[in-house]
Amino acid sequence: MSEPRRIGVYICHCGGNISDHVDVQRVREAVAGHADVVVAETKLFACADGTQHEMVTAIQEQNLDGLVVASCSPKLHQITFRGVAKRAELNPYTYTQVNIREQCSWAHTDDPEGATQKAIGLVRAGIAQSRLSTPLNPLVVETLPRTMVIGGGVAGLRAAIGLADIGLQVIVVERGSRVGGWLAQLGPMFPNDRSGREQIDALLAEVAKRPMITVITNAELVGKSGSFGNYTALVRVNGEPDNVLEVEVGTFVVATGTDVYQPELGEYGYGIDGVLTLAEYSALVDSASGRLTYRDRPVRSVAYIYCVGNRQPGGNEYCSKFCCAATAHASIKVSKLDPKVKQYHLHRGIRTYGTYELMYSESRERGSVYLRFPDDTPPEVAKLPSGQLAVTVLDPSTSDAELTIPADLVVLVTGMVPRQNDELTNLLKLPVGSDGYYNEIHPKLRPVETVVDGVLIAGTCQGPKTAGESVSAGLAAVTQSGGILKKGFAELDPLVATVRPAACTGCAECVSSCPYEAISMTPADGREVAVVSAATCKGCGGCVPVCPEDALDLLGHTDAQTLASIDSLLEEAVR
Amino acid sequence: MTTTLVDLDLFTDLRRFGAADVSACFTCGTCTATCPLSDDAAAFPRQLIRYAEVGLKDDLLGSKELWVCYHCGLCSETCPTQADPAEFMATARRYAVASYDPSGLARILFTRPVLASVIATVVAAFLAAFMYSAHGPQESSSLDLFRFIPDQLIHWIGIAVMVVMALAGLVGLVRMTGQVARREQVGLRDVFGSRPALRRTLSAAWSAIAVESLGQRRYRADCGADDPPEPLYRRRWLVHALTIWGFLGLLVATVLDWGLALLRIKETGTPIPVWYPSRLIGTIAGISLMYGVTMFMVARVRRTGTSYQVSTAADWLLLVLLWLTGATGFLIEAALYLPAAPGWGYWMFLFHVAVAMELMLLLPFTKFAHAIYRPLGLFFYARAKAHVHTA
Repeated sequence: MSEPRRIGVYICHCGGNISDHVDVQRVREAVAGHADVVVAETKLFACADGTQHEMVTAIQEQNLDGLVVASCSPKLHQITFRGVAKRAELNPYTYTQVNIREQCSWAHTDDPEGATQKAIGLVRAGIAQSRLSTPLNPLVVETLPRTMVIGGGVAGLRAAIGLADIGLQVIVVERGSRVGGWLAQLGPMFPNDRSGREQIDALLAEVAKRPMITVITNAELVGKSGSFGNYTALVRVNGEPDNVLEVEVGTFVVATGTDVYQPELGEYGYGIDGVLTLAEYSALVDSASGRLTYRDRPVRSVAYIYCVGNRQPGGNEYCSKFCCAATAHASIKVSKLDPKVKQYHLHRGIRTYGTYELMYSESRERGSVYLRFPDDTPPEVAKLPSGQLAVTVLDPSTSDAELTIPADLVVLVTGMVPRQNDELTNLLKLPVGSDGYYNEIHPKLRPVETVVDGVLIAGTCQGPKTAGESVSAGLAAVTQSGGILKKGFAELDPLVATVRPAACTGCAECVSSCPYEAISMTPADGREVAVVSAATCKGCGGCVPVCPEDALDLLGHTDAQTLASIDSLLEEAVR
Repeated sequence: MTTTLVDLDLFTDLRRFGAADVSACFTCGTCTATCPLSDDAAAFPRQLIRYAEVGLKDDLLGSKELWVCYHCGLCSETCPTQADPAEFMATARRYAVASYDPSGLARILFTRPVLASVIATVVAAFLAAFMYSAHGPQESSSLDLFRFIPDQLIHWIGIAVMVVMALAGLVGLVRMTGQVARREQVGLRDVFGSRPALRRTLSAAWSAIAVESLGQRRYRADCGADDPPEPLYRRRWLVHALTIWGFLGLLVATVLDWGLALLRIKETGTPIPVWYPSRLIGTIAGISLMYGVTMFMVARVRRTGTSYQVSTAADWLLLVLLWLTGATGFLIEAALYLPAAPGWGYWMFLFHVAVAMELMLLLPFTKFAHAIYRPLGLFFYARAKAHVHTA
């Protein structure tokens, strides 16, 4: 048996969320007399400030060396109670969180007795876990003050400037032959009618002023090794196999942007002369001098069809959110060129949120007509015998009759689609969401971090964004990079895999099981043994059961802890 | 399901008749929801605005709903985008009157204020000159108006004017009937084809002409939702009703006087006491008309309430013609009581007859046309309403 321990156990009512279905008093009684349990109490709200303070006092006065709180999911309050342990000068990794809310009271509202029995078992398992815990300390890794920005669009360029301004070196890697991304191709933009090109030029002027920034075009990231804060990146230039730069960086900011939807031939008449995508039409409008013309013929009427390639059940279900505003803006430009042009907007609900609403109003005031068609009855585009285009649409707010709108141009308002970038995605292990865009950890609270430490995402590679939103994300990535790199070191969770070299036979099964490439074979005492890079290991535990010799163990969740937890959980049944 | 090719120019054309703000509409329907007159049988203004925006010209011109609205202005007060739907309704009525008239005169009178004023002046001057060309002496001992302008001449010109008016009005009514009947899907058989159909038609006609046009029932009962309520003497329905009753009273008095002459009971122009039926009706009706028209003019000048915010030249043309007819009539009365016949009395008479004739002659081409189109619209509304109730 192990050394005697002094463990404090707190069982939370969660103000009734738990105690309405779990008899917390019985849970307390079931563990109160347990070996090594010195304190066993119930609390109305364990997370309340006052209760936390009582716990700190108890840990210090009772000289506790382990802490168990049975309350909610560790996702919610593990960090809270680790903090309690820390304040009481107790090692935070001796703390175990037991979830008796989501897993007991909420899951078994129909069976209070069963829920109570399950809670008793889980708390006993938690005590067993804490009993075998050892003090652990965070890993400290030194970090390099250098960031690689992948993608030279507006988000990447603005991030590069921000990074340089906080004193970090920046390498911008752009796959294309010139930087600027989509924005560089756009004409005058809302609200002050500065063209996209002008805005990119302004950013490039700023980039040029900063020697901390290096921009490499025609370049691709082809390799990444090392660990958080100390990555080695391989950049291939001009697609030449032997022209590969090796760059050491602390973090990556991925700002690879997006593609726009390309309609299929025949989709809303695409392919017929005069049916254009929004991008093609915008270019036409921005290049017009005087009146709007198409193939040297004046354009007198335009029909816009919204949500092409977006908001499609079974397809791209999301909204690209820039397109309504961009189309309203284009219609204003056209009416300024020639107020007599008739403009019909066939939409599925206009989403000109925020100040874009002003454009929607102005567009209507300038005579644009907006018709909302039913989701299940899309408009149809055809060429009339006269050669003119015609869009037939059902407008329920007018009548049940179909309307046929003659148009010189039909504009398919196309949204964004994720850019196919499998090589980079695999290389950086970027998480991809069901929409095909890169996923952040939390859309509100951690909007640019990914589950891969030190790899940040920004801009339209995360999903459709306006230029302003892309820049905001780029600057958020600056802050996150700064937070990691400016201290010069980073603290990592010590809950990682370890190898007992004596037991390792060097079979390398674990190496291939690791999704993070954290395990490598290293010569030691004349043979190959597995070594885990603690900075790279994410503590997933995937390697542990793979090892035929049980040479691997996961700190904080050792085999011994897990077995003891299982035994405790089954105590009642075994007896 | 039928497919309609939209008219891209409809909205541009409509704007010539007013309604500058309606493009702010985003089809929310608040106007229709708040309108006390809009119901299942006639839902407006939202749908009519939509017709205009989208370019459904035939649907707009076939809308009986235009004539169910009395322009109380509640929709414009509640409109979240200040699109002024009430003014749109007024505009669409002007557009409809102009469209039902094939001659193009109504369009000019509604859309070109300066030219309209010139035409109005020229027509009156022409009528006056024509009558003056056959004038007799101006008796100075007593006012003998019909020696100055022969009553036979006035009668025949009057009849000619009424015939022209009736023909032009009839053409407009037929055109409107065609448009509305198509949109309402009402055929001749539905109106006259069977005994129940005929009963329904008579009931709808009674409702449209007697109850609503003469009785102003819904204008009075449903459209008076003013908050705070106007004092009775200023309430729109009463001012409007007094104008109608006054005008019709004068028409009755005139016809009565003519009838008496035809029956050789009383020569036109014979002095008669105030209590004499045709004169009594004429006097009371004249006072009623003058009160109504003057109140409308005051309200338009002072812009009291939403209904009077916008006044077009067409609004003024009708009011001015009515007012001049009434005012000159009373001045003639005054001249009759003066001991010596004043010379201006004769000129006032000539002016009075010319203006009154012009008023009738231009009826189908001015805002006055609502006097014939509104009852027809209300007829279709009453039919539809009965259908909604029985369905």
